[in-house]
Amino acid sequence: MTLKTLPAVPPSTEKFDFKKSLCALWRQRWMYFLMTPTLIYFAIFKYGPLWNAQIAFKDFKPLLGVMGSPWVGFKHFETFVNSFYFTDLMTNTIYFSLAKLVLGLPLAVICAIALHETWLVKYRAFVQTMIYLPHFLSWVIMFGVLLVILSPGNGLLNQVIEHFGGEPISFMTSPDHFRWVVILSDIWKETGWSTILYLAALLAISPDLYEAAAVDGASPMQRIWYISLPGIVPVIVLVTLLRMGHILEAGFNQIFVLYSVPVYSVGDILDTWVYRQGILQFQFSLATAVGFFKGVIGLVLILISNRIAKRVAGQSLF
Amino acid sequence: MKNWKLIFIVSLLVISQMLAACAPATPAPTEEPEAPAEPTAVPSPTPIPEPIEITLWAQATVTEAGAPPEDWVAYQIILDELNIDLTYVIVPTGEDGEAKINAAAAANDLPDLFQVVSAKNDSRGALLQLVDLGLIAPVEDLMPLMPERAKLHYNDPLALDLVTFYDHQYGLPEPPPIPRREGLVIRKDWLDNLALRTPTTPEELFKVAKAFTEQDPDGNGKDDTYGFGGFLNGQGLGTRFDFLMGAYGVPGVWNFTDPAAFGLNVRSPEYPEAVAYFKSLVDAKVIDPDWATLKRDDFRARWKQGTFGIMWEDFAALTNKSNYEPFDTNFPEAEWIPVAAPVGPTGASNYGVYTGRGQIFAVSQKAADAGKAEAIASLLEWMATDGYYLLGFGEEGVNYIIDANGNISTEGLADADKYTAAERQPFTQMRNQLIFYNSEQEIVARYPEYKTLNGRTMQPMTFLGFFQQQPWVDGRGIQVILPPANAADFDRFYTEGLIKFVLGQEELNDETWAAYLAGLDALGAADYEAAAKQALTDAGLLK
Repeated sequence: MTLKTLPAVPPSTEKFDFKKSLCALWRQRWMYFLMTPTLIYFAIFKYGPLWNAQIAFKDFKPLLGVMGSPWVGFKHFETFVNSFYFTDLMTNTIYFSLAKLVLGLPLAVICAIALHETWLVKYRAFVQTMIYLPHFLSWVIMFGVLLVILSPGNGLLNQVIEHFGGEPISFMTSPDHFRWVVILSDIWKETGWSTILYLAALLAISPDLYEAAAVDGASPMQRIWYISLPGIVPVIVLVTLLRMGHILEAGFNQIFVLYSVPVYSVGDILDTWVYRQGILQFQFSLATAVGFFKGVIGLVLILISNRIAKRVAGQSLF
Repeated sequence: MKNWKLIFIVSLLVISQMLAACAPATPAPTEEPEAPAEPTAVPSPTPIPEPIEITLWAQATVTEAGAPPEDWVAYQIILDELNIDLTYVIVPTGEDGEAKINAAAAANDLPDLFQVVSAKNDSRGALLQLVDLGLIAPVEDLMPLMPERAKLHYNDPLALDLVTFYDHQYGLPEPPPIPRREGLVIRKDWLDNLALRTPTTPEELFKVAKAFTEQDPDGNGKDDTYGFGGFLNGQGLGTRFDFLMGAYGVPGVWNFTDPAAFGLNVRSPEYPEAVAYFKSLVDAKVIDPDWATLKRDDFRARWKQGTFGIMWEDFAALTNKSNYEPFDTNFPEAEWIPVAAPVGPTGASNYGVYTGRGQIFAVSQKAADAGKAEAIASLLEWMATDGYYLLGFGEEGVNYIIDANGNISTEGLADADKYTAAERQPFTQMRNQLIFYNSEQEIVARYPEYKTLNGRTMQPMTFLGFFQQQPWVDGRGIQVILPPANAADFDRFYTEGLIKFVLGQEELNDETWAAYLAGLDALGAADYEAAAKQALTDAGLLK
């Protein structure tokens, strides 16, 4: 089975007709009306603050305001790039982001397909509830849960390790293990919730395809491989592309709650550094410069990924 | 087309009516101009000025108790007596509180009066940064407006000097908490159970800690106890283990014990020896293995659960009835006793570093520009005079009484109404930040004696007295030392390096220690030390 793509629309040769556009606008007025709140939201909360991003290039003084603060060029970007732990911070951030994406996404897809294939309705509802539940716990609570499980003193996991003759492991303070604690706890917390998107995509696939495949003698695995998976490829591509845009956001809340001094070398990420150096040290321009840097990198990665996705999978975001 | 015109005209009419409805009401025109009013015998009432809105941000005294309710009687009294409409916001502790203040600063939206919060306990440094941003108003002109408060709260010339920058006083330095109030304590019942003596040296401490870990001191038949408990706070290994570093003559970050050789303590040859000793505790597994990740509240929950038998704790956090009660319920026959500063191999003995830091409050420039400074001064003066008992203890006769000796008492009051009751804590949340100034009456009221469940008399003041008599290093000069520009990187390297040695993530030998010091130098340690020395010399604090 090959993936169907829409035929390319030939470029229009017609001249722009203002009156015609207005008429089209009027015809679709209710659609635009429905879009208005969203557009207003984006204008106020997403595009408005972009104006303030100029403080990344200024020495921001709150009393002078955004406009009154003096320009300093790329000074804050240089401070950031030349900071002592720049390489560590970038490595840790990208490591966490990619690991969560590479390990988390397939698991969510597998979970969604498994739920979709399950014919026991009550069992499916039970499993769905159980896997959605951790999403609603804050990371502060998760820290308490992890401490109970992973503590080298009396943690459940360490008791099992000791039972089998092993030595207790300080998972939370050991640089060898901390990254896995972060990645696996994130997967545990968020995989269930991520399945919602894929489940919705699976439910949108026409049942006729499955019935036809069954009539043709396709096994359940063949139906998954040839119908379900191709049916949700656009969603997988979409999610991957969107995640690429946030590649430098490795999960501030989670890391901030879980990390401690012994694991700074493998746990400190851009956002936690910005918090310590930018927010707590009143270096607001530096904090904004790092945010700007993250945004630009994210945009570039989205553009590149989009092009690659278009060429390789025939799917793209825009 | 006609329809369009009609809709347009109707819309205009509707909008104009709506706008007219929004406009301020004006008197209806009369047909004839009114004659001037005749003077009457009844004077027209003096217009009551609009209440001045003051927003106050401060940390809570009892963080788990929450804020006072909206119908708190104090709000109405403040409104009636001072014509101030007070909004009181409780700021979180630690970095969360600091981030909240800093975010408000970034938006030039600081509250009118607020507590300067610093997670690293460097309120002065944080205040100076806010002053440099132009967000803080000078307050020297307010001091004469609050004479009683200035006499009781702002009477330390050094504290006032420390909040004076560029010839102006920018902070209101509240009296520091009772000095030298923390100390080393040990489970006496565990010592007795194992027939051990109170340790006096690091070696003896090690032996006792090992016995506490391995010999089931609580006799419950389980391997569930440790010698030491603690958590990381502040820079380096934190202040909770200064008694260990002090036994090697290197307590705290800075070397205040030898002014001639002032600098970072890690430069001292004794420092790696102290780190090696600490590492031996970790290697022997006689310290709670979670110590490096625990938060303060987790740590306090653990000693109440009987997890360890040696710790450093605040005397009130340990002995005050409300704090001690859960431990007493779990272990009625248990007893903590204070331990003197251990004496190290060279005879050094330092309990810790006394910094004398108190809370600093500041008035925002925004409030001063809005003409609120005088109202803030009157509010602060009221808190130190008429409002003192209300904000510190509650309502007289309901929440407290003053006995014949002039002491605060709760005798004869309903349990839930006593100012000491858990239910009453939201109503006295300002007490440690803005109200108390360590008077004798306060101290007697705050730390009363009581009977434990097994009938023993618990005397919090005995613990305090013991702790205060120990050899502390006078580190008040630390208040003038400002963080370096790369504070986040420097702090991380400094702290992370020490922790790596202690946890065995990095081998501790001459070579690695030299590399650690070289790393600090690469981050500008020498410049930091020189700037610190200069600041101390300028302030006359390096003697």
